[in-house]
Amino acid sequence: MVGLAVVIPFIFPADFPISTTPEAQMVFDSVEALPDSSIVMLVFDYYPSTIAECEPMARTALHHFWRKDCRVITLSNIPLGGPSMAENVTREIAPEYDKQYGIDYVNLGYKANYVAVLAGMGNSIESIFPTDNSGTPLSEIPLMDSVVNYEQVSFIFEVADNATADYWVSIVNAQYGVPIACGVTAVSAPKYYAFVASGQFVGLLGGMKGAAEYEQLVGKRGKAVVGMGAQSLVHLLIISLVLIGNIGYFVTGKARKGMSR
Amino acid sequence: MTGIEIFQTWLIAFFTLALFSFLYKDNPVYKIAEHIFAGLSAGYYVGLIWDTVIIQQLWTPMTVDGRWWLIVPGVMGFLMFTRFWKKITWVSRIPLAFVMGVTAGIFLISQLHGLVLPQMRDTMLPLWNTQGYGQLFLTIIIVVGVISTLIYFYFSKEHTGALGVTAKVGIWFIMISFGAHFGYTVMGRVSLLIGRVQFLIEDWIGSFT
Repeated sequence: MVGLAVVIPFIFPADFPISTTPEAQMVFDSVEALPDSSIVMLVFDYYPSTIAECEPMARTALHHFWRKDCRVITLSNIPLGGPSMAENVTREIAPEYDKQYGIDYVNLGYKANYVAVLAGMGNSIESIFPTDNSGTPLSEIPLMDSVVNYEQVSFIFEVADNATADYWVSIVNAQYGVPIACGVTAVSAPKYYAFVASGQFVGLLGGMKGAAEYEQLVGKRGKAVVGMGAQSLVHLLIISLVLIGNIGYFVTGKARKGMSR
Repeated sequence: MTGIEIFQTWLIAFFTLALFSFLYKDNPVYKIAEHIFAGLSAGYYVGLIWDTVIIQQLWTPMTVDGRWWLIVPGVMGFLMFTRFWKKITWVSRIPLAFVMGVTAGIFLISQLHGLVLPQMRDTMLPLWNTQGYGQLFLTIIIVVGVISTLIYFYFSKEHTGALGVTAKVGIWFIMISFGAHFGYTVMGRVSLLIGRVQFLIEDWIGSFT
């Protein structure tokens, strides 16, 4: 039944309304408030297994950044797939905004031990990433001429499916004061609402719903908005099954009580 | 679509369907896909670490930039491998102790300064200086939720009387939190299925036309 509820909306598309949460609106407003041509970081801290939830967030953020003419530094603390996903997404979207690698964006790739990486970049990004993802020394990349450490970075958008988001808060935001917005999988979203309330995150996207909200705000209808049709249908199905199960339990319970008398 | 893109799409579709075949029962196609994934991941990870750590952060800085003092962390790293020989296993404790010390130092500060204190500060909200009754209500919920949940985990006194009532309120807050987590988890797992189905219908079947 769940399988059918997922497949049917792709064959017969139905638009379900997607309301915007204050946390997603905060992400949008924070990027909108950035001065044009700001230097921003887009962090691909998710594994390929959670592409369905995380990639729409990263794509939409990139559209949003480039619409504001921001210069984007991508990196990853995830060894399996992180750097390649950053490469694919940036190179696919760049021609739409006429962006050039090395001038408008750079992919630093992956480096092991994220705690040391996040702390070390506060001192010097080049000491942690001597080269970009393709092996080009950072000294030969024009965009990195003006970037030494977090001081030159105006905004960080962390897309994560694991606990690395905690360290962006505890190391980068707490010690260097860089504003961070976060897009996380639905499984970990409840934990991070507390960080929004405390002002440690300037916004939060939770799972496919969060990604769909952001796509809607940016005006780039992507896979998350399309996927929300199936998501809503499955949720309706689950709620119905829970209700039917409970009604059945109470009805058969009464019958059982009657029999025992 | 170029030839390589079509091949890539078919390869992804094959492995997606191979893994889905487990829904029927354990079978050789599923096993093949599972083993290829495990082998590829391990190989990729070893190659990546070799390039980004050993070559970029140890070998090149030493041989090209002349930073020979990096030999010290390099040797410390290799000492970890002494765990494989029983007689000199103890040597691996030296780099391990170093790692533990540094990690504890970094974490102590970052966790306290970045997580514990800001979260505590955000819990101590002034009741008389809020923005409207709605916010006042939310503030009261936060304060009551935190205190009652903490009391639930206070086991030095029997949960009777006022303490017991507060602990019961704490259980309600914990249950509501579990419910929210479970709801989000369901959404997350369904999203993963949606992602695969979306790929199969839009990208794979879509490539036939």
